[in-house]
Amino acid sequence: MNNLLAVDAEGVTKTFGSVLAVDDITVRVAAGEVYGVLGPNGAGKTTFLRMLFGLIRPDSGTVRIFGRTWDEVGVGVLDGVAGFIESPKFYPDRTGRQNLAGLALLDGGTRPGLLEEVLEIVDLTDRADRKVGGYSYGMRQRLGVAASLLREPRLLVLDEPANGLDPAGIRDMRALVKRLAGSGLTVLLSSHHMEEVEEICDNVTIMSRGAVAFHGTIAELRRMAPDPGHVLATTDDARALAVAADHPEVTVAPDADGALVVTGPRPAVSAYVAGLVRADVELLGFTLTQTPLEALFFMLTDDFDHQTLVRPVREVALR
Amino acid sequence: MSAARPGVVSALRWELRKLRAQHRARVVLLAALLAPVPIVVIIHGQSRPPKDTLFGRFAPDNGFALALLVLGFASQWVLPLLVAIVAGDVFASEDQHGTWKTVLTRSTSRGQIFVAKTLTAGGFAVVMLALLAASTIASSYLIVGHQPLTGLSGQVIGSHTALSLVAASWATMLPPTLGFAALAILLSVWSRNPAVGIAAPVVLGLVMGLVGALGGVEAIRPLLLTTSFEAWHGLLTQPRFTGPLVDGLLVCGGWSILSLGAAYVLLRRRDITGG
Repeated sequence: MNNLLAVDAEGVTKTFGSVLAVDDITVRVAAGEVYGVLGPNGAGKTTFLRMLFGLIRPDSGTVRIFGRTWDEVGVGVLDGVAGFIESPKFYPDRTGRQNLAGLALLDGGTRPGLLEEVLEIVDLTDRADRKVGGYSYGMRQRLGVAASLLREPRLLVLDEPANGLDPAGIRDMRALVKRLAGSGLTVLLSSHHMEEVEEICDNVTIMSRGAVAFHGTIAELRRMAPDPGHVLATTDDARALAVAADHPEVTVAPDADGALVVTGPRPAVSAYVAGLVRADVELLGFTLTQTPLEALFFMLTDDFDHQTLVRPVREVALR
Repeated sequence: MSAARPGVVSALRWELRKLRAQHRARVVLLAALLAPVPIVVIIHGQSRPPKDTLFGRFAPDNGFALALLVLGFASQWVLPLLVAIVAGDVFASEDQHGTWKTVLTRSTSRGQIFVAKTLTAGGFAVVMLALLAASTIASSYLIVGHQPLTGLSGQVIGSHTALSLVAASWATMLPPTLGFAALAILLSVWSRNPAVGIAAPVVLGLVMGLVGALGGVEAIRPLLLTTSFEAWHGLLTQPRFTGPLVDGLLVCGGWSILSLGAAYVLLRRRDITGG
């Protein structure tokens, strides 16, 4: 059974001094799956991915990649695995092409023409002969993807590939990852953006403070998501609150800034808005505060809810 | 998938490519090749030779003596510095660029990369020393001349023999030079800082030279890397003695094994958390 899994990490723990970076986590990624690891900065995502690549040794637990462990086969465990951790780094005084050629050497060579192919995929052909030191952040990210594809991997591990990019860069990177995910690769994508993972992934693990806070499908996650919240701006907030009394399924309460926040099932919220119009309350604004999945993400990962919410979810959702 | 399981040779080819592209390394090799020429010309033209230095008295008028004078000077700090410019940087530069995670997520193991980098640094040390020695001896021979050499015991050494002994003397620099390369590698791995990797071996070399010059350290002196830089003196005496050469070989071997062993363990055990 284990051999069918691209990643089978079981009971993995890692501490740095007194800091518990990864706390007894279990993550299983099936071959062909597009899998997301979500969590805020410092949740332990990157430490976990570093352990996959053997950059960090776990204190306890087992990490199997396509059924093999580091202890069994050493660096051979990375056969068919590629990716990058945090922002990919290259030799700045060498060109993009020279960097890729050098990395290909460390892989024992590549088939003819592959280097040009991967440069084409990441749209760096025209800039491949410029020194990497002059690359923008986004270009280095794309070169990182190219360096990964050079290994013709079965498992592609990408750690926050859109992190630090401008909006256009984020759009391009997400499109690229989506294209790669659609090509049949097993993709393990780490992110702290719910929308990024929601758009691409089949399954997701949400990490918080080193531990697994949720593990399941995106559909399961959606079912757990709270009602969406909207910030309501009106000409008469007192009447808006009074109208809310007629809509018991909707909660209307001022937030810390005094703005009214409306929470409830979508049909009930629609009915409440219609009620405001009937009561001649002028709507100046009605803005979604966060998507339901984002709200759930924050609930799962915020320190505030950690002790009360995460543990039961974890017990139910771990598989 | 990769075309073949890569090994040390693949990693070595990559390291050599990087080294060839490194401006600093090219400058060092060029300096080793060209710098002896003006030095020889200047010393040859001096009316007041450095009499208090070994072979200094004869250096302006004897090419062999001049090559040995340069050898004595080079061994004080020049060789440790030149060798550390590559050996002290070869590991730490990966930390500087944050590229450990780039190379260690390929198909080459830490051990293979360690060997490749060590061979690169060692190979550079050999080439640098060979260029410096060949350039010094050739320029001294051609510019100053190849008169018979007066040895350390006052004996006169014929030109042909003198040339062999001068070349052999330069060759005896190899073990301590490689010892300093190993020390620089250790400091490079340990400090993760190229500046420390390059400067610290030179400072340690000067400290060892100072300690070796002090009285009452007879027990320690043979164990110092810098003592091996003086082992060639025995080749220029009558009768010749080679005991210090053998001792030096063993001491340098010991330093190299300990330094490289410690560096390897540090690299193997290290968690790559940065970059």
